[in-house]
Amino acid sequence: MHADVLAGLAQGLRRLGSTVTGGVSKLGYASRFLLAVLWHSPQAFRRIQLTLREIYFAGVLSLVIILMSGMFVGMVLSLQGYETLKRYGADEQLGILVALALVRELGPVIAGLLFASRAGSAITAEIGLMKTTEQLTAMEMMAVDPLARVIAPRFWGGVISLPLLAALFSAFGIFGGYVVGVRLIGIDDGAFWGQMQAGVDFWPDVTNGIIKSVVFAVAVSLIAVFEGYDSKPTAEGVSTATTRTVVISSLAILALDFVMTVFMFRGAGT
Amino acid sequence: MPAAPSAPSRDAPAQARQVESDAAAIELIDVSFAYDERLVLRGVTMRVPRGKIVAIMGGSGCGKTTILRLIGGQLKPRSGKVLVAGASVPDLDADALYALRRRFGMLFQFGALFTDMSVFENIAFPMREHTDLSEELIRDLVLMKLHAVGLRGAADLMPAELSGGMARRVALARAIALDPMVVMYDEPFAGLDPISLGVVGQLIRKLNDALGTTSIVVTHDVYESLKIVDYLYFVSEGRIVAGGTPEDVRSSADSYVRQFVDGEPDGPVPFHYPAQPYAEELLSHAR
Amino acid sequence: MSRSAIDLWVGIFVAIGLGAIVFLALKVGNLLTLDNAPGYRLEARFDNIGGLKLRAPVKAAGVVVGRVESVRLDPKTYEAVVSLRIDREFQFTKDTIASINTSGLLGEVYIGLDAGGDVALLKDGERIAKTQSAMVVEKLISQFLFDKAAEGGGQKK
Repeated sequence: MHADVLAGLAQGLRRLGSTVTGGVSKLGYASRFLLAVLWHSPQAFRRIQLTLREIYFAGVLSLVIILMSGMFVGMVLSLQGYETLKRYGADEQLGILVALALVRELGPVIAGLLFASRAGSAITAEIGLMKTTEQLTAMEMMAVDPLARVIAPRFWGGVISLPLLAALFSAFGIFGGYVVGVRLIGIDDGAFWGQMQAGVDFWPDVTNGIIKSVVFAVAVSLIAVFEGYDSKPTAEGVSTATTRTVVISSLAILALDFVMTVFMFRGAGT
Repeated sequence: MPAAPSAPSRDAPAQARQVESDAAAIELIDVSFAYDERLVLRGVTMRVPRGKIVAIMGGSGCGKTTILRLIGGQLKPRSGKVLVAGASVPDLDADALYALRRRFGMLFQFGALFTDMSVFENIAFPMREHTDLSEELIRDLVLMKLHAVGLRGAADLMPAELSGGMARRVALARAIALDPMVVMYDEPFAGLDPISLGVVGQLIRKLNDALGTTSIVVTHDVYESLKIVDYLYFVSEGRIVAGGTPEDVRSSADSYVRQFVDGEPDGPVPFHYPAQPYAEELLSHAR
Repeated sequence: MSRSAIDLWVGIFVAIGLGAIVFLALKVGNLLTLDNAPGYRLEARFDNIGGLKLRAPVKAAGVVVGRVESVRLDPKTYEAVVSLRIDREFQFTKDTIASINTSGLLGEVYIGLDAGGDVALLKDGERIAKTQSAMVVEKLISQFLFDKAAEGGGQKK
């Protein structure tokens, strides 16, 4: 009896250990992968058409969901914010509330999560499928490096697209907040924009939001191309990889957001 | 010209009869390879003379595709030598390896066409990547290659719109796009209808002779292979068990060759997966 | 997707993306309204600055004329030393009063400047002589209660 319990425990520990070491070695592998992608990046820019195509598929095709979500989030922020601010007679601060919430946090984070789900999973699926149908191997055998031709352009396409999408999310969110706050609820137009302008500083609010979205872009793009490249060349392998991209990207975004917020806005006070 | 044929011997481990003709374009000398701990190839020795078509035959999973990957430099052998035109492939650095691969053409099992490009662009791909030819010249070359495989009219189709046989032919055109020195075919006959089979087989032979390339065909289609190749190697459990010209093979008395050529379910390659004796297993209750 | 169509759409996308960033910087944030006009510095000392923060506005007659540049404590006199950056186009008299105000009850804290009648003007680096510290609400309340208590006590007598 004892022996069985101990054996089970030992098995469990062994599995935990191998999961951890597996995870750590995958992290190392992913870092080397990042370096390899960066190393092969010059070609992605010399033949700019490759990267432009990826910006189209990752960025332009995400516009609809980003703009609509941004507007809805801004509108809801305005509605909810108004109710609470009214209690303290501070309803004229609605502009600052909506703008700061979007620019500092919601813009980069929500745009990042949406991007990971839409564009990230698409990139992973595409690369995984190319791996499964031996297209990547065919390229290698034709003496064309898939890292330079397929992976790097998709990585940079994501890195360039997401910050722009995050800014658009915030901008449309503020517009949505304006529509609800000024047009629907009836807050003074001048107060809305005036307080906002006074309260939102380019440095640190807007710039930190931009920095966040760039960091998220690198994380999501790297995870997306890595999971695709590393996927098992079967149908299940590709589907697992796609799910992993969305889950790991989302966790990474939220974790990085916390870390960056602590450093950026600690003691900002206002 | 090949030396006087003698019956292929089957000693363990069997060595294929050497073809004493032109200098070998490709040579494997006592090559062993293992995936993790599973030994896939054990002491394989084979020669592919320049300008000839050689078939590598065997059951599924016996290491045929591994041989192609070793020649292409995707894998490194555990021991032994892999020589292409005299150069040892595993020892080449990245640049030299890419230079070598530019002179290879490879046909993958299901075509492996780039799905986001049209037929034309698939074939133009190696030209655009490796040469500085003008677009007009590339256009002419692509059309020539397509014409050689009979698909010039399909130039603007996307891979998803092609039938299996057509996709295979387009992949063939892409494989010979840069007039390679060596062409490797991985199961070119798998899953094709009888007409396409005939077409692909004839194309392999004709293109090989017209371009003066050396071809290696990995397949288990005996009928088509015997029609077009110059020499065959039989691989079983990681070893070369038999080899010979088509005439040798057709008239061979070797039990493995016979089982393969005649398609017998049981023989040197057993029907039953290793298991307990039948009566014992039925009668025992533990399971 | 043809190449030119892709180029067009990517161009539009990048253009509106950059446009959004510019919008956030200028219309939402205050990139250009800040500190770009040439200015000069004035110093003011307070007993208590209350909730005054860096970059708080300096207003005269309700109009923003500058920003609070730095706040530090004088270790000898225990006064708060505030450095103000004023736009060059606004000059103030030597007897200007600097007071710390709050716009509304929950609004932001700012410095209000009331110019006097002196002929001489403050120059770069000079100190504003008269200042009025922030009203600390707790002190007000305790003052009020104290007065009330004193009043009640007086009446009893």
